[in-house]
Amino acid sequence: MGKRFTLYTTIFLLIGIGLAPVLYMFIRSLFVDGGFSLRNYETLFQSDREWRLLFNSLSLAGATTLITVLLGVPLGTLFAKTDLPLKRFFTILFVIPLLVPSYILAIAWFYCLGRSGIVAMIFNADVGILTSNLLFGFAGTLFVMVSALLPVVIILTITYLRMVNPNLEEAAMLYGPWTTVLRKITIPLITPGIALAGLIVFILTLGEFGVPSFLRFDVYPVESFTQFSAFYNFNTATAAAIPLGLITLVVLIIERFFLRKKTFIFRTMGSEKKMLVVPLGKSKPFFMVAVSILVFILVIIPLCILIHKSVSISAYTEAFIRSIGSIMRSLVYASIGATCLVVFGFFLGYILARKAIRLFYAVDSIAIFLFALPGAVIGIGLSGLWNTPGTNFIYASMCIIIFGYIAQYTALGERIMAATFSHVPHSMEEAAQNVGAGWFRRLSGILIPLAKRGMVATWFIGFIFCLRDIGITMMVYPPAHDTLPVRIFTLMANSPEDVISAMCVIMIMITLLPLGGLGLVKRYIK
Amino acid sequence: MVAKMIVKIDNVSKSYNKHSVIKAISLDIEKGERVVILGPSGCGKTTLLRIVAGFIHPNQGKVIIDGNVVADNGKCIIEPENRQVGMVFQDLALWPHMSNYKNLEFGLKAKKIPKMETRKRIDEIFEKVQMTQFKNVYPGELSGGQQQRIALARALVMQPKILLMDEPLSSLDADLSLTLRKEILRLQEELAITLIYVTHDREEAFSLASRIVVMESGKIQKTGTVSEITAYLSGL
Repeated sequence: MGKRFTLYTTIFLLIGIGLAPVLYMFIRSLFVDGGFSLRNYETLFQSDREWRLLFNSLSLAGATTLITVLLGVPLGTLFAKTDLPLKRFFTILFVIPLLVPSYILAIAWFYCLGRSGIVAMIFNADVGILTSNLLFGFAGTLFVMVSALLPVVIILTITYLRMVNPNLEEAAMLYGPWTTVLRKITIPLITPGIALAGLIVFILTLGEFGVPSFLRFDVYPVESFTQFSAFYNFNTATAAAIPLGLITLVVLIIERFFLRKKTFIFRTMGSEKKMLVVPLGKSKPFFMVAVSILVFILVIIPLCILIHKSVSISAYTEAFIRSIGSIMRSLVYASIGATCLVVFGFFLGYILARKAIRLFYAVDSIAIFLFALPGAVIGIGLSGLWNTPGTNFIYASMCIIIFGYIAQYTALGERIMAATFSHVPHSMEEAAQNVGAGWFRRLSGILIPLAKRGMVATWFIGFIFCLRDIGITMMVYPPAHDTLPVRIFTLMANSPEDVISAMCVIMIMITLLPLGGLGLVKRYIK
Repeated sequence: MVAKMIVKIDNVSKSYNKHSVIKAISLDIEKGERVVILGPSGCGKTTLLRIVAGFIHPNQGKVIIDGNVVADNGKCIIEPENRQVGMVFQDLALWPHMSNYKNLEFGLKAKKIPKMETRKRIDEIFEKVQMTQFKNVYPGELSGGQQQRIALARALVMQPKILLMDEPLSSLDADLSLTLRKEILRLQEELAITLIYVTHDREEAFSLASRIVVMESGKIQKTGTVSEITAYLSGL
């Protein structure tokens, strides 16, 4: 009884917090002046500008996906399967851009390639104009999105390569060299992982708001945001958000029917044996140089620019004065958000791993759909649903931001916890039940202690995603509740570069510090 | 004297998506019996054991334990935690984050047994399974046979009416398996507990059973004493 109550309560809360706002938004957009009408959509699709925005969004998402996959798969393979020196160090460096809001990279590149940027100062103003023209628009947005989302492909490639049964590779090695084994056996085996990585990159790019907005490349999320925030035109903003929702839905349906089955075929071949390592031999220096150049361009340069720009005590003092409230709020909201994600992730992950209710698949679909939906869309939905006199206590407080985090990122916790529970044999819980332990005692005595690693991982990943969020927060934050990413975003147009750079460095530091702390704790425990 | 019936499985069926795993099985087990369910992999013997334990609900039929209906036509009347049935799992399912003592204490705490009584019962059972010196050790630090004894102790400390064992010796070598079978017999006799034991190993079944139930394709093929089943199987 207690178990059913807990699980169903979690599901209803997810539906209430995440799905209801999106449905409300969609239904409301179908009514004009009190009657049913498709006028919002007619207006939307009659305009050439909307079609251009749709084309821009899709071409940006498509190109980013293509390039990240082309770069990320070889990099992931190098880091996971070869004897490349410093591969762990390189992996960590490549992952850094994923930990911070993408637009911070855009700011860094602006300080480098803008009209009065570092390049213009080194060469001349004409070169600055040229690089600035390249940066502002499709090419620059694409470049920043690739560097921000490349880690997704690298991480998933590494993860899936680790799951390949080494026996299959060993069997193939009897017939050909390593290059053939990789080409014909290993990479085809991880195709579902590569496709999943591509899917995530596509969806995240489609919903990205910060980078295109900063680099003035018109895409749908920016349009939704503008209609909502600048003109407060809820219906048009909603209508502009719906195509993104529909594209997301189509992509997810493809994933459900095509990718999921393939993943399972691949996974059942797992083995306890250690992964085989490919010797790079004479090519080692070549790969070493190539990876170093790439990491230098994509990660080291933007980080160094921010540090270089901010390297003065006055800049940091000013940055702290201007943003101390936002820093504290960011930390508090991200901590609360992460804790909520652990709770939601725990129960939903349990449902998914144990197939604890009949509709477990539907619950997973809701969580994944919300994760894939652009933050701007969820943000508009939340504002529409909760902005009423009766619910103002939620709309005007930090609760609305936390709701946004839960709606968007629950899928992360759900999947991490489902993976954790899949490693906890069901018999552990059954044994507890057998000796007379009810649901809550099983939770506290068996499930939570056995799943605590997954819970800690969920908390940290949730913390990072909540901390770097801008899509939802930008849409819903009440007055005096802005977070650091929002603060930087709103200040960067009219604040000194050194102060903004200092804020960006602080943002990076407060994201990385908990991770460093976790690393130290793990080392201490070991 | 009429022996008391402790488990009654009445016309029980279980299917998953039209695939029938248990087909209208009926079986009566008397108090103090050692019933071994013998059959090949996939014949439904573990499913039947889990139905008695309450982890699986039958689609139809009734399960009665000690006079109480615990499952009836797809409905779970009494939850597994309240059936007073002990179980030793195939993978033992010892909780790795708890010491052996805590593994045994967990269920007693859940049942709110007083502390003194808890300590007494645990000490006694540790002695019975000859594991007193490993009380404060974690299961991961024990050998396979020692883990087996702890799993058995955890089930017995709750003083269940019935002990269910799901192929608990399948992962052990022949010598150890033989030793533990003797231990199980000794404990069963000492505690006068009803044992329902699932295995695919004929030798194991013959050495443990007072009655053997032969299962195949979700049905009971034959029930009888060791000599009856020996004759039946040799005639196949």
